Amino acid sequence: MPEPMGFYTDTTVCIGCKACEVACKEWNQLPAINGGQNTLSGDSYDNTRRLDGINWRHVKFIEQFAPQGPSPAGSAPQGRWLMMSDVCKHCVQAGCLEVCPTGAIIRTEFDTVVIQADVCNGCRDCIAACPFDVIDINPVTNTAQKCTLCYDRMQANLVPACAKACPTASIQFGTIADLRSRADQRVAQLRGQGVPAYIYGDERMLGGLNSFYLLIDRPGVYGLPANPQLPSRNNLPSWLLSIGTAVIAGLLGLVAFRKGRMDAVTPAARGGEGV
Amino acid sequence: MLPFRENPVEWGWLVYLEMFIAGVAAGAYATAALLEANGRGNSPVARTGHLLAFPLVVLAGILLTVDLHRPERFWHMVIASEVFTPILKLWSPMSFGSWLLLLFGFWTFVSFLDALIARRRLTLWGWRADRTLHGTPLGLVWSLIGAVIAFFLGSYSGVLLNVTNFPGWGHSIMIGAMFVATALVTGMAAVLLIEALRRQTDWGDVAGIVRATVVLVAWQLLLVLAFVVTLGRAGLPVFFTGGSLVAILLAIAFGIVVPLILGAPIANPRVHSGRVALFAALILVGGFLLRAAVVMGPQHG
Repeated sequence: MPEPMGFYTDTTVCIGCKACEVACKEWNQLPAINGGQNTLSGDSYDNTRRLDGINWRHVKFIEQFAPQGPSPAGSAPQGRWLMMSDVCKHCVQAGCLEVCPTGAIIRTEFDTVVIQADVCNGCRDCIAACPFDVIDINPVTNTAQKCTLCYDRMQANLVPACAKACPTASIQFGTIADLRSRADQRVAQLRGQGVPAYIYGDERMLGGLNSFYLLIDRPGVYGLPANPQLPSRNNLPSWLLSIGTAVIAGLLGLVAFRKGRMDAVTPAARGGEGV
Repeated sequence: MLPFRENPVEWGWLVYLEMFIAGVAAGAYATAALLEANGRGNSPVARTGHLLAFPLVVLAGILLTVDLHRPERFWHMVIASEVFTPILKLWSPMSFGSWLLLLFGFWTFVSFLDALIARRRLTLWGWRADRTLHGTPLGLVWSLIGAVIAFFLGSYSGVLLNVTNFPGWGHSIMIGAMFVATALVTGMAAVLLIEALRRQTDWGDVAGIVRATVVLVAWQLLLVLAFVVTLGRAGLPVFFTGGSLVAILLAIAFGIVVPLILGAPIANPRVHSGRVALFAALILVGGFLLRAAVVMGPQHG
């Protein structure tokens, strides 16, 4: 049995080159947005906009500059860029996998989460269930799709295309145990330099994200939920409330029906009896 | 939970209609079961419930299938492709709901045939108008089991919305409970509307159903309020904007408040059959608007 595998993304060394996006698109034969006739988003250098059915990697550009304009001559610029190559988190406790009614979403031998395009029927429940807004319909296959962590390449002992293409080793691929050790060392190094680095996606988050991140600002700044939760947290309470309501409604209906019928059943009020 | 979602789930008009129609089917069957529990399983009102439930649940299944992005794979909901074995994930409301639709379809089909035979529209070997299922002890058991399935069918779509990470749907756990009440009142309203227009019915049973509907519409109002209260500050803005807000307000005004005013004084539905029809029609419209608003809000809010 292979060890759990995944991605560790060190956002502090991402340079926003988008090589990962290109490599992912090319390897997975994903189509261009709108047949290549894409309009500019107006959001920094980000025209990919989001993770969806045809973009399984997305480099986010976060500009943190003061709104008053350029810094005075000779002084250091007041602000910074944050860049982050986002991808499916391959959660150990995956909401998409829980709700998928067809069994199209599976956990692989590498502990990653993959949608089988030949099984998915496009019900879209997984889109609503994912806490990270990762999954979307691919308009070519008409099925839900997302990063497979290059399952086909992993089966051939190859590194996923994005990690292979990353020039700065911002995206690292390996066994989860090894990646977490590397990440801890990097966090310690950065904290030693006064950078408030931390790991997003440790074991406390949905059992651990097999694609986890080193961040230096709040999760919300990167468009990530601070406390992602499984959709199934609502399952039992919602069913119990529904059953309770059904019982009360049944009893109310029964009593009210009897009362209404008794009041009305007089020779004047009654009509025919036939079926 | 993310404050807003970018990838659209695209549950639109087909889903609004499916959820509404499945609810009406469940409610109509539960209405018939309520009558049967009072020894009225063979009454014309109960038979209308039996005749309504099956075609509506078939229609709901068709709408669900058409809404899939790969409708030819609708059977993957209940049969695992490649291995061809049944697939049921009890913890997945959509998987559970698919099985409920199938089971309810079978259950209502039997009652549908029984109603056709009772009304002498069909003959099937030994199954004759004077030997029908409903109106017997076995029919009572059949009805009560069917009512349990109907209640689950009426609520599963609400639970399904709760079991997501969409703002609004994931915030209040009252959606399933609210949908149970909506299913029951719209099912009763559908039966009442037909009986009021048909006029050849048992008016005593109609009076009982009118009274039960009024009480349950009031109960539904309480559940709607509980839903709003439990949304909290994060979930409330999702529903209280744009089309969703308009639909909720219309649903409360014309689907709940006006029917309560109209329905409460109806003591003799035979004399006031027009009023019964209006009362029922408004509840149906309100039930649709309420379900549509709940499904629409988080997608557009």
